[in-house]
Amino acid sequence: MSPSATDRTLRLAWMAARLIPDECRVFVGIGAPCSAAMLARRSHAANIDMIFESGVMGADPPRLPLSTGSPSVAAGALMVGSMLDVFATLQRGEIDIGLLSGAQVDRLGNLNSTVIGDPSAPKLRLPGSGGAHDIAALARDVLILMPHEPRRFVNQVDFVTSPGHVAGRSEATGLGNGPKAVATDRALFGFPDGEMTLVGHYADIEEDAAVEHVGWPVRKADRVDLIDPPSAAIATAFRSFSGDTT
Amino acid sequence: MSSDGSSKLVGLPEAVRQNVRDGDLVFVGGFGQGVPFAIAREIARQGLSDLVLCRTGADILFDVLHASGCVKGAIFGWLGNPGIGISHVLRRAVADGSVEIEETSNFGLLLRLHAGALGIPFLPTRSLGLGEIANQAPGSHKPVLCPFTGEQMTAVSALTPDVAIVHAHRADKAGNVQLFGIAGDTLEGANAARRIVCTVEEIVDPAEIRRTADRTILPAARVAAVCHTPLGAHPSYMTGLYDRDDDAYMAFDELSRDVAQLRTFLEETIHACPDHASYVSRFVPTALRSGARGAGVPA
Repeated sequence: MSPSATDRTLRLAWMAARLIPDECRVFVGIGAPCSAAMLARRSHAANIDMIFESGVMGADPPRLPLSTGSPSVAAGALMVGSMLDVFATLQRGEIDIGLLSGAQVDRLGNLNSTVIGDPSAPKLRLPGSGGAHDIAALARDVLILMPHEPRRFVNQVDFVTSPGHVAGRSEATGLGNGPKAVATDRALFGFPDGEMTLVGHYADIEEDAAVEHVGWPVRKADRVDLIDPPSAAIATAFRSFSGDTT
Repeated sequence: MSSDGSSKLVGLPEAVRQNVRDGDLVFVGGFGQGVPFAIAREIARQGLSDLVLCRTGADILFDVLHASGCVKGAIFGWLGNPGIGISHVLRRAVADGSVEIEETSNFGLLLRLHAGALGIPFLPTRSLGLGEIANQAPGSHKPVLCPFTGEQMTAVSALTPDVAIVHAHRADKAGNVQLFGIAGDTLEGANAARRIVCTVEEIVDPAEIRRTADRTILPAARVAAVCHTPLGAHPSYMTGLYDRDDDAYMAFDELSRDVAQLRTFLEETIHACPDHASYVSRFVPTALRSGARGAGVPA
């Protein structure tokens, strides 16, 4: 039996939340990235500093926010600063982990949230970067969250909105390390030498399902870890904030 | 001119007539909260044209003005229906070529506005050197070497809007403006602009401003016009006063998929409402109105 939509959202959030250590500073995008940070905060990482591009630091949203400027982002936060404050924090290299998603990801961890199709005559125009490009460039490490769906994992994205392991990153000063992992609701991919590589999957699915929908023959690590699905306690923690969004 | 003397308090139609012109580059304030929808609806009512809107995280205010025929271009970092999805108006406008887009990242646009606010022609950043965003907008992004360290950076050009439209909690008649809660890029954009038009939930005595001067975000000297416009941010929210009307944003996602439905929506919410008060009485849910009555300061 395939998991319900709620289950898949939880499995996606947990796959990434596991990788967020306590005490770190995370720059959080809206949607699945925010779910992962909120879940980490409610399980093993109570002291992470959640930062939103709207200028909010030390955030502790009671409910999953609809947007980075939502009231729940400011509710209970330690500081409502300015956008310039938080992007300055990012550019100074003080963000340990940037949490991102997008419409497409490719084998180098590039993310596309700008256009589907030929950029000069797009099939679908998307909202664009927002702060995602800046987070991808400047956070020390980047965790990408992607629903495990067809057409999302492509050999090459239609447009590089947020750079992954592209030429120029390692030579430049003050840039982050690029994507560390791609978490899905089934699998975990790493970038051992700059290319997306299967390093683990939930223990209750087969390896074939873990690489399904990936649009190229994806590499597999010598050791592929089996990862425990979220426990009942984790599921309860997830439900505590994932209901109504504001 | 005294900073708390001469009144800049005018009606919304007059403020727009005097300060927003066809072809202006318009900075749109607010970020989640305080999106200046009442000013936007008045701009549409007056039939202004060829505006270029700029804003880091633009929301459906762009859709409303573009679909009203007021907009020829947009400079943005993100443009969609926040928390809900894509902008169907932008999607169609890109497909039919009815909008000129100049795009960057949110940090990139923030720095362009900050450069404008600082009165300098550009600012360098470590961002925007990788990927394809900068290549798409070579007029506002160029590689630059730091003259001191030799580091490779990306220069973004200053943006100086003709006018900024801002909605805030309160001001005195002179135009000393106070805002509480999330401001996003509002200050950078307003300070970069030549003129600022500000609507507020409440007009307060200058003595109240002086008592709480640490909450003033814009001094009267920067503000061209101030309008008493309660619920002027609807359907966005104001901290401590009223919540975001999520139902309205969701309804807009549906109705804006269809051009005819969108036209009807604009007819009803803008042109059939002679003024903001009429819009409020017809389209702002009663539950949201109670919070906005009276005090302009959140508890």
